[in-house]
Amino acid sequence: MLVDVTKCVSCWWCYAACKNYNRLPETIKPDPEKPPALSPTVWTTLKPIKKGAEWYSRKQACNYCTDAACVEVCPTGALSYNKLGFVQYDKDKCSGCGYCAEFCPFGVPQLEGNKVTGIAVANKCTFCIDRVTNGEQPACAEACPTGAIKFGKRSELLEEGQERVELLRKKNPGTMFYGDKQLGGLHVMYVLDDSPQVYGLPPDPELPAAATVRDVLKWVGVGAAAAAVLGFVLNYVIAREVIMVSELPGREQMSKKKEEKEE
Amino acid sequence: MSAQRVVERFRKPSIWFHWVHTAAFVILLVTGAILFLPGLGAPAAGGITRVIHRICAVVFVAAPVVYFVFNPKMSLHFIKETLTWGKDDFTWVKAAPLYYFGGSEDKMPPQPHVNTGQKMWQFVVLSTGALFLITGLIMWFIKGIVPAAVIQWCTIVHDLAFIAAFVMLLVHIYLGIIHPRMTESLRSMLDGKISVHYAKSHYGKWYDEVAEGEK
Repeated sequence: MLVDVTKCVSCWWCYAACKNYNRLPETIKPDPEKPPALSPTVWTTLKPIKKGAEWYSRKQACNYCTDAACVEVCPTGALSYNKLGFVQYDKDKCSGCGYCAEFCPFGVPQLEGNKVTGIAVANKCTFCIDRVTNGEQPACAEACPTGAIKFGKRSELLEEGQERVELLRKKNPGTMFYGDKQLGGLHVMYVLDDSPQVYGLPPDPELPAAATVRDVLKWVGVGAAAAAVLGFVLNYVIAREVIMVSELPGREQMSKKKEEKEE
Repeated sequence: MSAQRVVERFRKPSIWFHWVHTAAFVILLVTGAILFLPGLGAPAAGGITRVIHRICAVVFVAAPVVYFVFNPKMSLHFIKETLTWGKDDFTWVKAAPLYYFGGSEDKMPPQPHVNTGQKMWQFVVLSTGALFLITGLIMWFIKGIVPAAVIQWCTIVHDLAFIAAFVMLLVHIYLGIIHPRMTESLRSMLDGKISVHYAKSHYGKWYDEVAEGEK
């Protein structure tokens, strides 16, 4: 998916289409002064910026990283990579642990639930996976009237977006492309007329170090437990043998004889 | 050499506390392991194990608090015992490998009420308990309020405590129930008693004190 900020007219149709297709409540056009943040019932929203008298907006939803922190930390496999190479979310498998929400560099997954009991479920954009796998576009892309949200093959969109940036740079040298290499390459890429920070995007997002540490630690845990059990088996076999031998009646007599001799 | 188990090693409140704490801890370990160890996550779907984890967390914290309120002296003694380390412990560590692999019992220095190995376990219980509690409270109650990085590192500390406690629990279970030399360990945690022979050979120093006290 390619999101072109310079083509966006802040109509909020993507927001409405997302809510409509995913059966999320409330589809009134929001006030750009108070844009709704991503939440359990907002999977797609706009990040509007006022420049002079004009509004510029970036569509905000999951960026579908190639190296996704959420997939890395999800314990149940609710978040996984699908055959097309991007993140897929199976809500039925969600345990509500919230690791995805805490580790996502873009703050996309939104946890909804009871704070005391801990029963919760994560919510996020699904890339309209049921539509996409049936040859249709995601609801937001289909709704976009200006072509600011374009769905297609990543390699083609990457080329198209970079060409567009080249073109726009002639007028605005601040124009830039975002998503080509971040986190292994995003599956939602952006043509921005300004720096990423202005549109709420971290310029250099990284897989949190803690995610990598966890990945190593879980195997350390498995290894340590396996080593312990192996140690027990060895210890048991040897100790039982040694104790049995030392308690043999013959042994006792032998050591007695030895003592007598010494005496 | 009498096989009658007449030496009181643990009192009723300690035994009850031990098993309540054990039950809570084992359930915590299992419901935690499925979120941590690879490939075990499926039963966590739906979140019921998260509720169980929290209920057991409350028991896990409440049990020592209740025990402390009713047995403050014993509790403080336990903490003091766990934190007191000396030269004897070094001697024990040197002699232990041979002993645990079946070597002669005579070469083992006489031990007080708990030996150095048991003290290590007690230390792991106390320290990982504190780490579990602090990071657990943060992740339970102030998630979303503190920066995401705090939660990320809390999970790491929780994981590290898990590894230490889990492996040491395995050691504790092995030595308490299975090891060919620890014949009365489990039973002593059920009815509190051990035989004179077992007391003498395993906790010589402590047995002498007990015998002295009875005179």
